[in-house]
Amino acid sequence: MLSRSAARSAARQSWQQQRRGLAAPASGSFSYNIGESGGVKVASRDIPGPIGSLALVSQAGTRYQTVPGLAEGLNRYAFKNTDRRTSLRIQRESELLGATIQAYHSRENVVLRAKFFRDDLPYFVEMLAEVATRTSYRTHVMQEEVLPMIRMDQQKYLGNTLAMAVNSAHGLAFHRGLGVPVNPASSTPTTKYLTAESLEEYAQSAYAKPSFAIVGNGVDHGELQKWVGEFFSDAPAQPLQSLTSPQSKYHGGEERIAHGAGNSMVIAFPGSSTPAGSFYKPEVAVLTALLGGQSSIKWSPGFSLLSNATQDAPNMHIATKSLIYSDAGLLAIELSGSGNDIRSTASRVVEALKSVGQGISKENFAKAKALAKFKELEYGQETTAAMELTGHGLVHGNKAYQIDEVAKSIDNVTEDQVKQIVKEALENKASVSAVGDLYLLPYAEELGLKV
Amino acid sequence: MTTPSLAPFIQKRPWLMNWMRPLSKWYFDNAGYRKLGLRADDLIPEESETVQLALKRLPPKEAYDRVFRMRRAFQCSLAHQLLPQAEWTKAEQDYQYLTPIIEEIEAEASEREDLESMIIKKKTAATRQSGDQIAGKH
Repeated sequence: MLSRSAARSAARQSWQQQRRGLAAPASGSFSYNIGESGGVKVASRDIPGPIGSLALVSQAGTRYQTVPGLAEGLNRYAFKNTDRRTSLRIQRESELLGATIQAYHSRENVVLRAKFFRDDLPYFVEMLAEVATRTSYRTHVMQEEVLPMIRMDQQKYLGNTLAMAVNSAHGLAFHRGLGVPVNPASSTPTTKYLTAESLEEYAQSAYAKPSFAIVGNGVDHGELQKWVGEFFSDAPAQPLQSLTSPQSKYHGGEERIAHGAGNSMVIAFPGSSTPAGSFYKPEVAVLTALLGGQSSIKWSPGFSLLSNATQDAPNMHIATKSLIYSDAGLLAIELSGSGNDIRSTASRVVEALKSVGQGISKENFAKAKALAKFKELEYGQETTAAMELTGHGLVHGNKAYQIDEVAKSIDNVTEDQVKQIVKEALENKASVSAVGDLYLLPYAEELGLKV
Repeated sequence: MTTPSLAPFIQKRPWLMNWMRPLSKWYFDNAGYRKLGLRADDLIPEESETVQLALKRLPPKEAYDRVFRMRRAFQCSLAHQLLPQAEWTKAEQDYQYLTPIIEEIEAEASEREDLESMIIKKKTAATRQSGDQIAGKH
C-alpha cells in the first residue's frame, strides 16, 4: 500500500511538471509563428521530426456556402483534375512520395491537408496551390466522380441517428449559418444547386487570398513562406463574392424526428467560441470534462458525472462535447443507444447537470480541470493539431490557436464560473433533439428543461 | 475512335493546306453525309467503350441534337431521299463536337498506361527539386 507521503510527493512532482514551460524541452517551438507571404496568411511551427504536414484552411464550410451542398462539393472535388495534371497523376505522384492527402469540410472550413516527408515541402505547397487556383471544374467529373460520393455521404448520414441529432440541435440553436447541416440529407435538393459552374464560382471566393490560410506543422517557417509566396501568386486577390455570415445568435428549441434505425438524443446549451474568437469561455471545457461520459482510463467508469449517472445502461453511448466555432459554440450532451436506455437515463443526465449548479466536489473539480487541460495539450501535441482552428483564426483575425495560452486559461477557471455556466444553461432555452423511436424518447419538458 | 490521318501533316504546312483546301471542300460536299443533315463526328463508330463514355459526357443539348440528326438521316435513308437543300449541313456547322472528348479520354487512358508501366529512378541528392522527381515514360 502506498504511504500518504509517497502520494503527496507524486502529486507534488506532477504539479512541478505542469509548472514547467511547455515549450522548454523541445528544440522546435510549440507555438505558431505567424506571417504573411504575398497576401496569403501563413502560420507554422517547426516541430522536430521527419514528417511535416500542411493544411490549406479555407473559410468555405457549410456556414458560408451560398447555396446548399457547395462546401461538400468543394471538399469532394479537391485533388481532382487541374489545368496541369490529371487527378490520377496527383494520386500517383503523392503515392510515390509516400505522402497522404485528404480533404474534409466542417461547419466553418474546407480543409485540404497533406502529410509528407519534410524535404518534399515545395512539391506539396505547389500541389495545394494548384488545387486551389487551377482546378478545372468539369461537368463530367461532377457526374462521374463527385456526385456519387455526395450521394453516398447522404445515404450514410441517413443511417446515422446521432449525426442527424447533432445537426438538428445545431439547426435549433443557430437556425441559419452555423445551423446549416454539415452533411446534406438525401432529401436536400443538392443537384439543383450543385453544378460545376456554381462550384467554380464558389471556389473563386473560397480560394481567394483573404479567405484562406496556410498552416504548417513540422516545416521551416522561412521555407514555407518562400514557397507560398512563389506558388500562390495566382490566387485571386479578392473573393468573387465575399463569404460572410452574420454574428451567430442562439435560439434553442426542440425537434423530434422519427427514425427506424436507431435512437439518439442531443441536449445542447450555449457554449464557448474558439480561443481565437471573442466569446471564449475556458470554463466550458472544464464543465465538458466534468460531465464527461466517456472514461479515459480502463476498467472504471471514471469520475465523470454522466458516466456515473448512467451506470445502469453500460451499452449506451454518452458523451459531452464542447463544439467550438469562431463566434459561438455548443455544449452538447449526446445519448445514443436503445430507446429504453435513453428514456431511463436522460432524466438522470439532467439531474447531474443540475447538481453541478448546486455545487461541485473539490476532488471532481480538480480532476475535471486536469482532464480538460490534458485533452487540450494532447490535442496540441499531435502534428495535425489545431490546424483547422489556427487557419480559421488567421482568416478571421490573424490569431493562431496557441496551445500554451489555452492551457493557461483552463488553469484559471474557478468553480463559480462553471456553476454560472450551468445556471445560465438551465435558465435559458436548451436545444433538444430526439431522433428515433418517438414513443420511447422523452420530451425536453419531461426532463425538466426549458425549450 | 480516332483514325490515322494525314491532316496534321498537312495542317502544319500552310502552302500545302491552301492547296488542299478546295480539294477537301469538294470531297466533303461529295461524301454525301451533309446532304442527310449529319456531321462528320456523327459517323464515328460508337461501338467502343471510349466513344460510349464520350457520348455520356456530351452536354445535354449536343446529345439531343445528335440523336435528332441521326433519326432524320435514318428516315431519309429509308425513304431513299435527300433532305431539301436548305437543310443540308453547312460547312461551318460541321465542326468536331465529339472528337475533342474522345481525345481527352484516350489521353487519360494512355496516361494511366504510362503510369502503370513507369520505371522509378531512385532520387539522388542533386536532382531533388520540386515537381521533377518522378520520371514518367513520356
